[in-house]
Amino acid sequence: MLVELHKKLKELIELAEYIRDIKGEEFLSIGNICNELTDFYHHFYDYSQEKIISFIQSYEEKLGKILIKAEETLTPYEIVKIVRHPQRFTLLDILENVYDSYMELGGEGELNIDPAVICAKAIITRRVGDEVYFHQVMVIGHEKGHGEEFRRGGSAAPWGNEKALRYMKMAETEGIPIHFYIFTPGAYPIEDYPGAAQQIARNLFYMSKLSVPTISFISEGGSGGAEAIGLTDLRLMAEKGYYSVISPEGAAAIEAKLKDERPPRELVEKMAKALKLTAKDNLQLGTIDRIIPEPPLGARRKDYEFFKRLKYEIIKATDEVVLQTRSLKMLRKYALSKQNFENFSYYVNWELSEDEKEILIENRYEKYRKMTQWAVLEPKSFFKCLAQRGTRLGQSIAYEVKYRVLKSGQKTFKRFFEELASESSLLLKPVSDPIKSVYNLIVGKKIRTKVRMPGEIEEETEVYVSPLALQDRTVTCPQAEKFGCPDLWVPDLYGEFCGVCPNCGYHFPLEYNWYLNNIFDKGSVKTFNDEIASGNPLNFEGYAEKLKAARKETGLNSALLSFEAKIGGISVVAVMLVADFRQGTVGVAEGEKFIRAVEFAKVSRRPFIALVHTTGGIRIHEGTMGVVQMPRCTMAVRDYVDSGGLYIVIYDNNSYAGPVASFLGSAPYQFALKSTRLGFAGPRVILETTGQPVPPDYHSVENALKRGHIQGIWDRRELRKKLFFALLTMGAPNLYYR
Amino acid sequence: MKIDFSHLTQILQRFKAKPYKIYPVLTPHTGKIIEFKIKEGEEVRGPSGKWLEKPGTPLFILEREKNPKLIRAQYNGIAQNIRTDLLNRFVEAGEKVLEIKHPLSQEEIISEVLLNALLVIRAPETARYILSPELGKRLEKEGLGKVSVKEGDELLIMTFMKRETPIFLKERGTYIIYQIYFKPFELVQAGEPLLGLCPVEDLPHLEKIIQRIKAEWSL
Amino acid sequence: MKDKVLIANRGEIALRIMEACELLGLDYVAVYTKEDEESLHVRLAKKKYRISDYRDMNDLLAVADEEKCTAIHPGYGFLSENYRFARRVVKRERPLIWIGPTWEVIRDLGNKLYMKKVAHKLGIPVIPGSVEPIYNEIEAELKAQEILEQAYEEGFEEVSFLVKAVAGGGGMGIEEVKNLEEIRPVFRKVRAYAKRLFGDEGVIIEIKIPLFQHIEVQILGSKHGEYVHFGTRNCTIQSPFRQKRIELAPGFYQMGQYNFDPAKKEAEIIEHSLNLARHFNYDSVGTFEWLVTPEGKYYLMEVNTRIQVENEISAKISFVKNKPVNLLKEQIRVAFEEKLGYSQRDVAFKGMSLEFRLIAEDTKRGFTPLSGVITRFDYKEHPWLTMRTHVPKDKPYTIPTQFDPNLALAIIYGEKFDDLMEKSKQFLNEIVIEGHTFKNEPLVTNIEFLKEKLGDVYKFLSI
Repeated sequence: MLVELHKKLKELIELAEYIRDIKGEEFLSIGNICNELTDFYHHFYDYSQEKIISFIQSYEEKLGKILIKAEETLTPYEIVKIVRHPQRFTLLDILENVYDSYMELGGEGELNIDPAVICAKAIITRRVGDEVYFHQVMVIGHEKGHGEEFRRGGSAAPWGNEKALRYMKMAETEGIPIHFYIFTPGAYPIEDYPGAAQQIARNLFYMSKLSVPTISFISEGGSGGAEAIGLTDLRLMAEKGYYSVISPEGAAAIEAKLKDERPPRELVEKMAKALKLTAKDNLQLGTIDRIIPEPPLGARRKDYEFFKRLKYEIIKATDEVVLQTRSLKMLRKYALSKQNFENFSYYVNWELSEDEKEILIENRYEKYRKMTQWAVLEPKSFFKCLAQRGTRLGQSIAYEVKYRVLKSGQKTFKRFFEELASESSLLLKPVSDPIKSVYNLIVGKKIRTKVRMPGEIEEETEVYVSPLALQDRTVTCPQAEKFGCPDLWVPDLYGEFCGVCPNCGYHFPLEYNWYLNNIFDKGSVKTFNDEIASGNPLNFEGYAEKLKAARKETGLNSALLSFEAKIGGISVVAVMLVADFRQGTVGVAEGEKFIRAVEFAKVSRRPFIALVHTTGGIRIHEGTMGVVQMPRCTMAVRDYVDSGGLYIVIYDNNSYAGPVASFLGSAPYQFALKSTRLGFAGPRVILETTGQPVPPDYHSVENALKRGHIQGIWDRRELRKKLFFALLTMGAPNLYYR
Repeated sequence: MKIDFSHLTQILQRFKAKPYKIYPVLTPHTGKIIEFKIKEGEEVRGPSGKWLEKPGTPLFILEREKNPKLIRAQYNGIAQNIRTDLLNRFVEAGEKVLEIKHPLSQEEIISEVLLNALLVIRAPETARYILSPELGKRLEKEGLGKVSVKEGDELLIMTFMKRETPIFLKERGTYIIYQIYFKPFELVQAGEPLLGLCPVEDLPHLEKIIQRIKAEWSL
Repeated sequence: MKDKVLIANRGEIALRIMEACELLGLDYVAVYTKEDEESLHVRLAKKKYRISDYRDMNDLLAVADEEKCTAIHPGYGFLSENYRFARRVVKRERPLIWIGPTWEVIRDLGNKLYMKKVAHKLGIPVIPGSVEPIYNEIEAELKAQEILEQAYEEGFEEVSFLVKAVAGGGGMGIEEVKNLEEIRPVFRKVRAYAKRLFGDEGVIIEIKIPLFQHIEVQILGSKHGEYVHFGTRNCTIQSPFRQKRIELAPGFYQMGQYNFDPAKKEAEIIEHSLNLARHFNYDSVGTFEWLVTPEGKYYLMEVNTRIQVENEISAKISFVKNKPVNLLKEQIRVAFEEKLGYSQRDVAFKGMSLEFRLIAEDTKRGFTPLSGVITRFDYKEHPWLTMRTHVPKDKPYTIPTQFDPNLALAIIYGEKFDDLMEKSKQFLNEIVIEGHTFKNEPLVTNIEFLKEKLGDVYKFLSI
């Protein structure tokens, strides 16, 4: 009896301390209560049994009331603290309590390529009447407890995400559903092979078309790290979980423009609220599908009722995803049936037929395509809307006819072209007008056998002059000390030198207009969807003003330009992330524009080029609305690439975080201009996360090439030529000009 | 090995008497000195950090063709003899603006002493030098005291009379690159040291010498 | 306000520009680098500034501004044919007069392919070859074949090719190809070399003229559309790296043995050169370089949009209204928009002139440039001899290692050919250059080489 009381008292202390940790010392004198409890605990054996019983009873009551009050006054930042608390349940608790048996694959505890990621083959059972049915599933998720010292807080290393991908593929081979459990503050931001950003991008690219049902459950959803295993058919979220683009502390540091000091507590709490990171917020925003209720102040390791509930919900979610591929009637019936935690009304076979797999992937595409669309700001009338739909459809048909019909005729010159290519030479001239002669070849004109003596000397056509060039001054090349570069006269530098130091090849940043005017054929750039504007879906304080300022300054409505253009006569669809507009960060508007551009490239069978003038990642002011642009856009990319398109990404200046870890990083062809800095997280974030400083050239293109991130380093002075060459030699034969 | 321990003691005595070196700070080119960033007697630092990624202390601003250029300290030490009279005046290239009195570190003493002990490759002409690209890459990766070269290997490239002339190792045997005495692209007077090499077999003896210097110098 | 010229060069040409400025009553400022401190041009200049590098445009312009210069004379070499510098000089907020042709002319004529195109359009013969850069092997082979046919049509027999990097020059990036099969590998090699060294992969193919004389025409144009020429020069005697060593004026020896009428050919070459100059509104001194074959065919090679080292031999044999000419003075005058004040009719030619380039080089070991200390530099003064040098006679001189080791130009005048040869020999026998290298070996010069080559003047040679 005494033993039990002792145990009970200990649990009470744990609870009191838990409440104290979440709500703070001051909250209803919880600090004092903790002290009283520990005091009593220390002298436990000095008291009589009666005394102990009454003490425990009174404190049980007290804590019960406090717990209810605590739950009622729960703030978003307290939720973050719940999620981070060591008493919170972890993936291994789920494996123990939700699944009936499991076997960890590819590692156990510390003996693991990445202990922060767990993959397990698990069996989950359901009772229907008297029958017990077994389901095999793959469980993949983050683990931060049960050995905190080696779990890295649930931050998956690049190879941890690679391991996750391997077991996804295994599940696909075996045709079993995958349950993903997200318990991560974010990915471990190092660039070692396979690279943080690269691997997340690869995962997203693959998950877009995983042919098995996928369910994810978010307890701690830290941005890109969460997405790495988060693109799923149904997204569940723990009631006391958080899912956010950035930690409230990180957001506060950015907002207050702090470098090394800690942001003030009030600001952190404000950010937690502003980021709309709770389950309720996310459900409202449409970035998750369902909330799994938790007990007051959240489920802890021994909340068995919660695990029971979770088991029921996860089976139900899987059933629904499977049934959606079968019949709606059945689904409705299933939804209306009276089922409970103990007993299901139906058994659903989770194995999918080939047709069902197709529907599954279609459903997934639709789901993500629709996500966040409600927040797209696009001024248009009902009629315009209808008309647009009409033209889109018409366009699609026109392109279909044009290229299907033309295709056979084009085969001839294609062969001719192949012959030339096999000679390792493409009659390519790189300087002034290199492109025409090659294009002539491709469209079937013969090579001139007689050397052309130019009759009239070509007059210089009007040249675009960068506004940067219009000053009589000089600048120092940042690499002057290393390479002895002379100071550069600005009109030369930003004129003929294309912003490149002629001595060492250092690339100075240039305005985005330079690219539009110098990479593409004169006058061929036609932007579209310009009216789609960044909005303020979270009502983030101060963001609307920032957007207004950015709009005024740039004349743009979002950070992403989408346009049609020509390079040497080859028509392409392109997008460009512009540094001038909020550092080229990505939110709802940018994501939507990107997807529409990709889809446009797909129907018109044109190459798709993404120029990255700079991207600072996902725009934090749009919270998870921004984060889900990662899976959304990557799905569009996958669809385009699978349909036989040619997707080329070109990085310049600075390219970091979410976009690189998704729709940019998943491109089959990625090139970077010479002085680009490219990676997942900046040096400061790496230092904060890993405790290790990184060398100054850590994010250089040379290292990106060495790590296999990019396919090559290009020189801005040759960008047009290189792009043209790429258009001719890369990509599938489905392109319109092949 | 060209050095014995009695000789070493002598050399060390000399350094003990004058444990610093004075580096002049010259204007790299013409221009106007528009601001001094330091005062007489102030301490300055050269580039620091694990990868020398933190630049040195700002010394003064030299403006030419509307490009104000911050000139920074390349060595640790005390700024002295600052020519404040040059403020707001047009200066020629190579004008001495101040001096940095640089206390010699143990490492630098070793480097200086080793000039007497190592096989020193000296500049054959007054010219500009760089490491041969291949050697440069290896050194960057492995560091001093690790990279070995043998007879006939290309060590340096000399830019001289508008021609680039490679400099090869002429001595027989295998050597370890132990010291670098020049800065790339800077004019080196004929006869000045460029590289210090140690024959592989003498490495143990050299380590002993270094141990000895370390012991003596820390006293 | 009085005009002031910044002399953006070193050595003997800086001295000649100083002299011309003084003749015109202009102020000037000289510049020098640390290595040149002992040079005569530094010692003799009244006003001078130490700069970091003669190629550093920023230092030059900073000095020009500081000294309130109104014009800049680039001399030869360094920045003289850098159109970007010329452009910057005239386009900056405080513009200066550029003593040389306009930047557009420097750019267009400096682009050999463009120049060739224009010349061809004007009916001026150019060396048979490609007129546009070639970037791939197939095209190279096709082009070579075509050039070969063209050459046969024009009567060439054993044709070999020169594969050249478009951006190359001064003997760099040129390979000879004897037969068509070698074109591809050589093309690839030159292309790779060009890409590495010049950042431009463009390559051209020309036929190699086996035997030739190098003839050049000295042109002067003003900003008022006036043109005169100062005859021709013959610069056939060169080092194996195509650097001139002996030059003569006039370009043709009228008493020599030719298979053609030299006077007629000379007149044609001059006329073509003037035509091209007019086409570009050429408004400064300029040199048009030609190759002449023993059969009397001639081809325009390139145009040098600057004052030439050897300009003075033309000046020596030219008389304007019976007075001697100073081409540097003329160059500065036209830059300041003055009219010539004379026409071709006022220019008379008399006598012959020869120039030796005295250089510290080891002609027996691949013409390696040498540096060292000159301890004795002596020659006898003669009325027929003009020495152009920055090397002091009165004290030892260390040859800087950053530049070509040119020591002096000896310009000799003679009434007749035999007379000229006699004086030239006498000079070579009298001149004394002694010194030692840093390895304490005696300093070698090219005097012996010059003596040996003196017998080759006015001959058709091959390289």
